Amino acid sequence: MMFRNFSFLIDCSRAENCCDKAQYKELSKANKIRLLLHIAMCRRCKKYTTRNTRLTKLIKKSNLKSCSKVDKQVWKERIREEMAKKES
Amino acid sequence: MPVHNLDPTKWVDKYSDYLFNYTIVRVNDREIANDLISETFLAGLKSKKNFKGEASERTWLISILKRKIIDYYRRINSKKGKAEVHINYSDDYSDGEWLEEQVADASDRNAEDEMENTELGMAILECLDQLNEKQAAIFKMKTIDGADTEVICNEFNITPSNLWVIIHRSRVALAECMQKNWF
Repeated sequence: MMFRNFSFLIDCSRAENCCDKAQYKELSKANKIRLLLHIAMCRRCKKYTTRNTRLTKLIKKSNLKSCSKVDKQVWKERIREEMAKKES
Repeated sequence: MPVHNLDPTKWVDKYSDYLFNYTIVRVNDREIANDLISETFLAGLKSKKNFKGEASERTWLISILKRKIIDYYRRINSKKGKAEVHINYSDDYSDGEWLEEQVADASDRNAEDEMENTELGMAILECLDQLNEKQAAIFKMKTIDGADTEVICNEFNITPSNLWVIIHRSRVALAECMQKNWF
């Protein structure tokens, strides 16, 4: 049978994990179905999913940027050098 | 008695992203932003002895950065030698339209949105401060830089399961922290 090894039901912990992965578009189709079925029945996880999705939207909206690793390394070196100068 | 202490060895890891996001919206140039941040760190080191410990490290660094940004604008304005005044109207008949255009400035809403988004970004980074350093670094790498799970796991020597546990805890803490003002 096609769905012989396919269990539709997942617990809350797995649903939260699926929801987190979905925020990064790393959730398989099968798990998407599992998550949707779970949140249709579980109010707590539905609330978690709503909040988690809202968080993703806020992060996207904020357009946050991070500094490059190279820049960070250069700054660290300069701070180290300056501190060494002061100590000597 | 000072409440906060300075630890310059951790400044880059803890505050560089915050300082960068604060600066980039104000100068709109990555290279200039980097220079200003570098100057801020060095100025911070020089005036370390003046730190009274009343403000947090981050607030103190931001106050130095603010002065650096003001100095930067003073510098470029003095290079130009004179203030620039833009007058777009050449005849007297358009005087009335000038006022209407100012009132209905279409860019106002965009500027407001941008300010709100910047504020939002700062709030997110402030909330991330409450996580431990490793957690925050992993969360930023995954969420802000969009790094692959495998790359992060290799860099931090953790399993994918560990990574998702860290991401989950970070997201819960972040949502909790932002609940009051942003949800």
